[in-house]
Amino acid sequence: MNLVTTSSLTKYYGQEDNRVIALDGVSLKIQKGEFVAIIGPSGSGKSTLMHILGCLDKPTSGSYKFAGEEVSGLSEDSLAQTRNKKIGFIFQSFNLLPRTSALKNVELPLIYTRLKLQESQERARLMLKKVGLEERLDATPAHLSGGQQQRVAIARALVNDPLVVFADEPTGNLDSKTSAQILELFQNLNKEGRTIIMITHETDVAKVAKRIITIKDGKIVKDFKNKPKKMTGEKRKGVV
Amino acid sequence: MNPFEIITSALEAIKINKLRSTLTALGVIIGVAAIILLISISAGLQNYISAEFEKLGTNSLFIIPGKLEGSFGGGPPRSVNKLTFRIVDRLEREKNPAIVDVSPFIEIAVTARFRNESKVTTMAGAKETYFEEAQVKTNKGRLFTASENKTARRVTVIGPTLAKDLYKGANPIDKDISISGKNFRVIGILEARGNVGGVDADNYLYVPLNSARKLTGADQVNSVVVRTASTEVIPQAKEHIQKILDRSLSEDDYTILSQEQLLSTILQILGVLTAALGGIAAISLIVGGVGISNIMLVSVTERTREIGLRKAVGARPRDILTQFLAEAVILSVSGGAIGVLVGYLGSLAISNFIQTAVPFWAVALGLGFSSAVGIVFGVAPAIRAARLQPIEALRSE
Repeated sequence: MNLVTTSSLTKYYGQEDNRVIALDGVSLKIQKGEFVAIIGPSGSGKSTLMHILGCLDKPTSGSYKFAGEEVSGLSEDSLAQTRNKKIGFIFQSFNLLPRTSALKNVELPLIYTRLKLQESQERARLMLKKVGLEERLDATPAHLSGGQQQRVAIARALVNDPLVVFADEPTGNLDSKTSAQILELFQNLNKEGRTIIMITHETDVAKVAKRIITIKDGKIVKDFKNKPKKMTGEKRKGVV
Repeated sequence: MNPFEIITSALEAIKINKLRSTLTALGVIIGVAAIILLISISAGLQNYISAEFEKLGTNSLFIIPGKLEGSFGGGPPRSVNKLTFRIVDRLEREKNPAIVDVSPFIEIAVTARFRNESKVTTMAGAKETYFEEAQVKTNKGRLFTASENKTARRVTVIGPTLAKDLYKGANPIDKDISISGKNFRVIGILEARGNVGGVDADNYLYVPLNSARKLTGADQVNSVVVRTASTEVIPQAKEHIQKILDRSLSEDDYTILSQEQLLSTILQILGVLTAALGGIAAISLIVGGVGISNIMLVSVTERTREIGLRKAVGARPRDILTQFLAEAVILSVSGGAIGVLVGYLGSLAISNFIQTAVPFWAVALGLGFSSAVGIVFGVAPAIRAARLQPIEALRSE
């Protein structure tokens, strides 16, 4: 099943005489269950692509079907619904709410659903357990290490059981050891059937994915199947 | 987003910036406290005046010359005063059972003299019943009687200031006093009353109505007090008076006022005053609202990333709008509640000196007004937050 289908996606910024082309005719298909790394130097358009694929932004032209639905026709509210129910985001800078507990941070996507408070809390708790943080439920981001903060963010991305998880430079702010642990977590999640699309500029990071798409100047220049590098981050109790 | 989530997240945000939130709410606190305080003073004054009128009794009518337009305006100049004794005497002669007493009242400027001391003062000519109506008592001596009025005896009751000025400490009782060149006998001195309705009542001298008429030949009446048998018969009495007066006067030549009308006129003036003072206090509430608007805009800017994140995980524009509006309203309503409390305590403190009362509607007004301020001044920042694009918001640092 095609989860993501784009054809001739373009994205321009600025006025006509001073136009910046961020995406220049991107056509691609991503199926359910894939682990894709989109790699490219800064300014290549990879972040713009992720924003469009993640329903955070709309293309200037071209078509984008997410889970069989044409996104360009959706209202702002429907886009919000789509992001809420079908998409999870992981950011380079974690983007956790400061002065707010890990549990509350993971609950955040669920407060925009009709879920009962207790059920939201229970699901958030289970998700934090899954990423190995069941003992830090009440800790605020300031009291968590970078790796732990990113685990909270991963739990938040997974709590609504999304069709796809977008990760934008997820290891960009982490040391190599912690990065390895996070990437191993991604591989394990993918083994469970979770679709993951990861943006990175580091070849080493991209190598953990099963498919690598290289993008340059707003165009796809390479798209190949990869034999994933096995991550052997320190095994931790309770970590998937 | 359910209401519980909205309120808890708004409270969290307010708690994070305690000092800033307190200072912001202070504007509303001061505004609402000022409104409550002013209304309580005015309401207390209205209660006091109503109670005083109650004491006077409600079974009298006042007839004054000229047309009293609306709530304000004084009487007409003397030259157009058509309320003469010839007309007023008919009221006395043609009394019906509803009318117990008709008491005309005149005031004329005179020169009073004792030996070498003289003073310009006001002579009031009234019937003996006037003193009871107006609750005037003597300090020394006595008031004049019905027979002294009937026979137009030259007796007078004088105010304490006038007594002191003319007699220099000597006892004026049974002494002579010259009023407009005629000798009168002082029979009583009034209790000190101070300033009554803008004139120094202690400087007056009172003579029997008939004596005053005989002395001055006055033809015009300043006012007439009509006592009725009871409060219930006031409408009949009024109708009867009108019938008699209309024979020789047009309806623009006189006005009949009841105690209730007088009271309502005074209360109406007080009401206008309250509204004006309340309006001034409301301006400070608007300033408080601008403060809220300002701080909410700062908050939206500071929390741009948070807004972006919330949108990324599925918040709709209206969820963001509600969240920020809730913060503004909670700030202003809690400010309003504290303001009501402060105003109430202030009014309790003042009640040691003057009568105050905090009516329920003032509390409702204070709370209603403050929540309206929260909505009106919170909506612009909230719309700004709701319109932020998620990627722009996430990018901001």
